[in-house]
Amino acid sequence: MVPFFITLGVLTLITILMYNSLIGKKNQVDNIFAGVDTVLKKRFDLIPNLVASVERYMEHEKSILEKVTELRSSAMKPGMSNDQKVALDAKLTNALGSITIAMENYPDLKANENIMQLIRTLNEIEEQISAARRAYNQAVTDLNNAIEMFPTNIMAGWMQLQRKVLFEITVKERQNVNVQELFNHS
Amino acid sequence: MKSISELTDFYYKELYPALSELEETRNKILSKLKWYGGMGGVVFLLIIIWLHKNFALFHPFMIGIASGFVLLSGIVYRSITSHYAQDFKVKIITPLISAIDTNLRYSPDAMISQYLFERSNLFQHSIDRYSGNDYVKGSIDGVPVEFSDVHAEYQTTNSKRGTEWHTLFRGLFLVAEFNKYFKSKTIILPDIAEKTFGNLIGGWLQSMNVSRDKVIQLDDPEFEKRFVVYGNDPIEARYILSHAMMQRLLEFQRKLSYPLCISFVQNHIHVAIATEKDLFEPTVLKSLLGYSQAMEYVNTLRNTIGIIEELKLNEKLWSKE
Repeated sequence: MVPFFITLGVLTLITILMYNSLIGKKNQVDNIFAGVDTVLKKRFDLIPNLVASVERYMEHEKSILEKVTELRSSAMKPGMSNDQKVALDAKLTNALGSITIAMENYPDLKANENIMQLIRTLNEIEEQISAARRAYNQAVTDLNNAIEMFPTNIMAGWMQLQRKVLFEITVKERQNVNVQELFNHS
Repeated sequence: MKSISELTDFYYKELYPALSELEETRNKILSKLKWYGGMGGVVFLLIIIWLHKNFALFHPFMIGIASGFVLLSGIVYRSITSHYAQDFKVKIITPLISAIDTNLRYSPDAMISQYLFERSNLFQHSIDRYSGNDYVKGSIDGVPVEFSDVHAEYQTTNSKRGTEWHTLFRGLFLVAEFNKYFKSKTIILPDIAEKTFGNLIGGWLQSMNVSRDKVIQLDDPEFEKRFVVYGNDPIEARYILSHAMMQRLLEFQRKLSYPLCISFVQNHIHVAIATEKDLFEPTVLKSLLGYSQAMEYVNTLRNTIGIIEELKLNEKLWSKE
C-alpha cells in the first residue's frame, strides 16, 4: 500500500510542477507582449510627427508616407489579436525602413536638426522594439517547446494551450543600426 | 586616440631621457640589491651555523629565524625599490596617459571608489578589505570613464586556522557611461557552469542560482556558450545586448587571456578583468628599455582605454545627450 501512495504522491507533485511551469511560461509570454506593446505604442506616437515633418521634403515618396499612416491607424484599432499585431508590426517596420533609406536622396532633410532628432528617436525606438521582439520570441519558444515536448505536451493538450507566432527577425535587424553612416553621406 | 605604434614611438622618443635616467637608477638599485643580498646571505649562514650547535636544523626556533630573515629581506627590497616604482609612475606612465588622451588624469595612489565597485553587482560577497592604485579618470571622445587596479578581499574565521583572507577580485576595474538609457540591471559573467557540466545540467544549475536575478537566454549561440546573463528585465537586457554588442563583447573576450565580467547598472557599464596582478608595477629585474617590457605597458594602457572604442560607447546614435 505504501509504495502506491508514494507513487501517487510523486505523480501528483510532477503534475503540479508541470502545470505551474506551463502557466509560468504562458504568463511570461503575455507579460513580455505587454512590453512589446508599450514600445510599439511609442512608435505609433512618433509616426504622425515624423510624417508631418518629412512630408514637405519627400514629394516623391508620398505613397510610402501614406502607407505608414494607414498601417499606423489600422494597428491602433482596438481588439486586435497578438498575432495580427505581430503581422502589422513587420509591415510597419519595412515601410519605416524604406523612408529612412529614401531620406538619403534629400540633403535638405538631413540638414534639419529637428528631423534628425526625430530619426534618432525613431532609431532608438526601433532598437527597443527589436529587443522586445527578441525577448518575446524567446518566451514564445520556451512555451512552444513545452507545448510540443514530452511529457509537458500531454498537460498542455489538456490545458488547451496553443502555439504562438514568433516575430520575424529580419536580416537587416541583425545588423547594427548605423545612423552615423546616414550622417556621413550628407 | 593614438594607435599602439604611435604610442610605442612616443615611449622610445619622447620619454627616452626619463627612461635612461630611470635605467641608471635601476642599475644602481640592482647592484645595491646584490650587495645587500650577498651580505645578508653570509650573515644568515653564519647565524645558522652558530645556532646549529644548539638546535636541530628544522627546530621551530630555526624556522622562526629563517622566516624573520625572509620578512626582513622583503622589507629591505620594498624600501630600496619603492622610490623607483614611484618615479616610474610619475615620469613614464603619467605622460603616456596624457599622450593617449589629454582629457585623462592619472593618480598613482588613488583607486576607483568602493561604492562603484559594489554598485556593479558583479561580486556578491561582502568586502572586508578594499585597496587599489593606478587610478585614471577623465573622458574619451566625450564618454566619462574611470578605471584602476582593485584588490577586494573578504575574511573568514576558522577555529583551526584562525582568520583567513580570501581574494574576491584582483585586477582591472573600469566604469564608463553607457550610450543608451536603461533602468534595469544586467550582469554578464563567464559561463563556467555550462562549460563544466554541459548545456542541460549547467543551464539548470544557473537557473537555480537564487542569489542572482533570472537567467536571460540570448539568441547568439556563441555568446551563450561563453557567458551567462542575469537580469531583471528581459527586454532591456536585449536592448543593451544587441547582436552587434554581443559580437563586440565576444571579440573583446577573445583578445583577453583573463576572465571578463561585465555589468550594466544605472546607465553605466562596469568591466572587471581579473588579471590577478597590478597594472603598472615595474620590476627592477627587467630593463624599461626592453621592447617586451615597453609593449606590456603600452598595450595594457591602450587596450584598457580602447574598451570605449571597441564597444563603440562613443557612438551617439541615440537621443541620449
